[in-house]
Amino acid sequence: MVRILERVDRQKAVLVGVILAVTLAMSILSAKFFKIDNFVNILLQIAPLIIVASAANLLMITGNFDLSVGSVFAFCAIMHAYLTKNVLPIGWSILSCCIFAILWGASNGIMVGVLNVNPFIATMGSMYAARGFAYLIARWDGGANISAGLPPDFSDFGRTNVFGVFPIIIIFLIIAVAVFIFIEKKTVLGRYSYSIGCNRRASRLSGINVPGVLIIIYMIVGLLAGLCGVIQVSRVGSAYPNIGAGMEFDVLLAIFLGGTSMHGGEGSTLGMILGAFIVGLVANGLNLLNVPYFYQEVTKGALLIIAVFADQMLRRRK
Amino acid sequence: MDNDNILRIEGIDKLYPGVHALDNISFDIKRNTIHCLIGENGSGKSTFIKILTGVVNKTRGSIILNGRPFDPKSVKDAKNHGIVALYQELNVVDDLTVEENLTLGREKHRLGMIQKDDSLAQILSILSELDKTIELNMTVGELSTAQKQIIEIVKAVSIDCKVLVMDEPTASLSEEETRKIFEVVRKLKANGMTIIYISHKLSELFEIGDFVTVLRDGKIITTKTVQEIRKECQGNTADACLELVKMMLGRVVIESYMPSKTDYSEKILEVKNLSTDLLRNVSFDLFKGEILGFYGLVGAGKSEVARALFGIDLYSGDISIKGKKARYKRVREALKSGIAMIPEERREDGIFGKLSIKNNIPMMKIKSILKNGIISRPKENKVADDYIRMLSIAARDREQKAAFLSGGNQQKVVISKCLNRESDVLLMDEPTRGIDVGAKLEIHDITRNLANQGKGVIVFSSELPEILHLCDRIVFMNNGRVSATIKNGKNIDNDQIMKIIAEGESKI
Repeated sequence: MVRILERVDRQKAVLVGVILAVTLAMSILSAKFFKIDNFVNILLQIAPLIIVASAANLLMITGNFDLSVGSVFAFCAIMHAYLTKNVLPIGWSILSCCIFAILWGASNGIMVGVLNVNPFIATMGSMYAARGFAYLIARWDGGANISAGLPPDFSDFGRTNVFGVFPIIIIFLIIAVAVFIFIEKKTVLGRYSYSIGCNRRASRLSGINVPGVLIIIYMIVGLLAGLCGVIQVSRVGSAYPNIGAGMEFDVLLAIFLGGTSMHGGEGSTLGMILGAFIVGLVANGLNLLNVPYFYQEVTKGALLIIAVFADQMLRRRK
Repeated sequence: MDNDNILRIEGIDKLYPGVHALDNISFDIKRNTIHCLIGENGSGKSTFIKILTGVVNKTRGSIILNGRPFDPKSVKDAKNHGIVALYQELNVVDDLTVEENLTLGREKHRLGMIQKDDSLAQILSILSELDKTIELNMTVGELSTAQKQIIEIVKAVSIDCKVLVMDEPTASLSEEETRKIFEVVRKLKANGMTIIYISHKLSELFEIGDFVTVLRDGKIITTKTVQEIRKECQGNTADACLELVKMMLGRVVIESYMPSKTDYSEKILEVKNLSTDLLRNVSFDLFKGEILGFYGLVGAGKSEVARALFGIDLYSGDISIKGKKARYKRVREALKSGIAMIPEERREDGIFGKLSIKNNIPMMKIKSILKNGIISRPKENKVADDYIRMLSIAARDREQKAAFLSGGNQQKVVISKCLNRESDVLLMDEPTRGIDVGAKLEIHDITRNLANQGKGVIVFSSELPEILHLCDRIVFMNNGRVSATIKNGKNIDNDQIMKIIAEGESKI
């Protein structure tokens, strides 16, 4: 028992404390909060966030980030709707969208890893471009969005319940988290991510293929963002090009709350998940309390600043 | 008498934790002269300049400027007293024009709008006197390095600088540009300025210097006029250089050199005509079981040889390893063909500070800790424990973060990283810089063991005692070229080595 306590670091303990405090406060303030249905709801809401953030967290560990995830999410969502409506069977469309998503990631990776474009500039560029294409695809279809004329079985994929109980997004969530905890702890890719974030020059001088590692991780981030977009649009049953707007910042919020440093070299999937839960619980709770949307945004901002500040104080004391 | 001396340095001491950077130095700097400071790395030149220009505070002693005590509190304070330093990293803004650079920070403005004024006329006259080819509306980015230096000099002159400190102004200049800077320096002197000139190129001081002060290990060895030195050597520049080199390096004691057990039969590395921007046709061989030393004063090109061999800098020329031609453009490829390097900059290029010792060690050969393609904790622990024991790394345990280790132990972690790669050729660039004496000896022993195990080791060092203590053969470098290759041993004598170093210097 003592050994377990020793291994859980202080930073994660703080996060768990915050989650418990938020849960307690919301339970007192709203009768609808502490219900199984509500928690399932929260989990469904933050599932895409956690899936994308699990890869984006590894990227942040290398000291880089991706602002285009929300746009790639939207691009693949609307592309999936467009393809199934006009061109391809559902299965092939899902596959094509995943390939498009990987290509977006590869282009980000090449810009950052090979051409040494600052990740902020490179991925902000893709963010605008992918979002623009999302609107354009809706236009090709002849409207502002794609909701009518989709095949009747369009929603089957997103609404699949595995074993009759678990929504498919939850299955993906579990797989993504498990895979990334494994990558982080047990694989060469994970180890190289830490080393690149910790010291990029020393990594290169140790013979690590730094651009290669970055391109692979950007590709995975792109893939997961695109796949989540496909599942989401399939679950909802209609595609809007402004879907997933602001997702990139929710992802970053979860990562920073989870204790991954912006400079890279440290952080964990587990911390990021705790961070995502804080984001989800607070948003849900404020919704139940009928707090207007803009106050929710203010809360998010305050949360981020307080979390990062507290983290800095903790580190300094060490 | 004091009227003659613009600066009088009296018994300055500077103590850093664990280092006596300046030890009771005293000398005078005469008004309107060019006073050269020479000495190897760590001799205390930079510390002295930092004290003079208010960057750091002295521990003891006093500076008399124009007969009055002078104790600069900041760079600005020193500037107000007319002392300005030009560093190698130029302080100009490439994107602005010459005019904007010259008036930067001193713009006259009204409500934030910049106003033109007459001080510009004065600056312009200084500029045109020093270099007529520079025009005010040119973008500084277009100028040559020497011209950028001139911009900085004009800035200094225009704020009424009396003493100008120049830190290796010609280090990265071509011969032609060097001439230009010399010309400017002479003009400044003609206009009554005093110049403190720091250079590693000894030939330069015979060209423009009036006085020379030699520093070694934080102490003043001598202050002489250049003429005196010339006279002592009957006007022979080569001999004069030799004298200076002897003073700079001191008497080198060759105490405990132990030859490696190599029979010089198997060439492990053959380098022919290695050239880069800074290297000219460097050729040498390395034998199995041998420790080869590369020695040269600062800027001679030692590190550049290491960088080219390790695939960091692009090179031309032939490299063969164990008889096989090797050609590579990347570090990965160099590692693959059997070369590993311990870099000069330990913190920036060597260790992963935030990671534990056990994470650091396998970084150059991650395969060594994999089992079925997955990182195996038992294997990783074993690799770490083996090296911690073998090199006696002093750490709490293998989980300790590398950043929290002492310099010597960090270096041992970097060495472990390289050893784990099991390369045939090991390059060690300044392997013991900034490391305490105990760890230094341990690293020397480790190096010798490696050679005895049949590796080829190349040590690049600017510490002559280290080279003489450790290496079987020594390659002397100068200005990007090999000036001599000698075999180490009992019969080697101090004068011979000094002569080689000085000859290279006087040739430039």
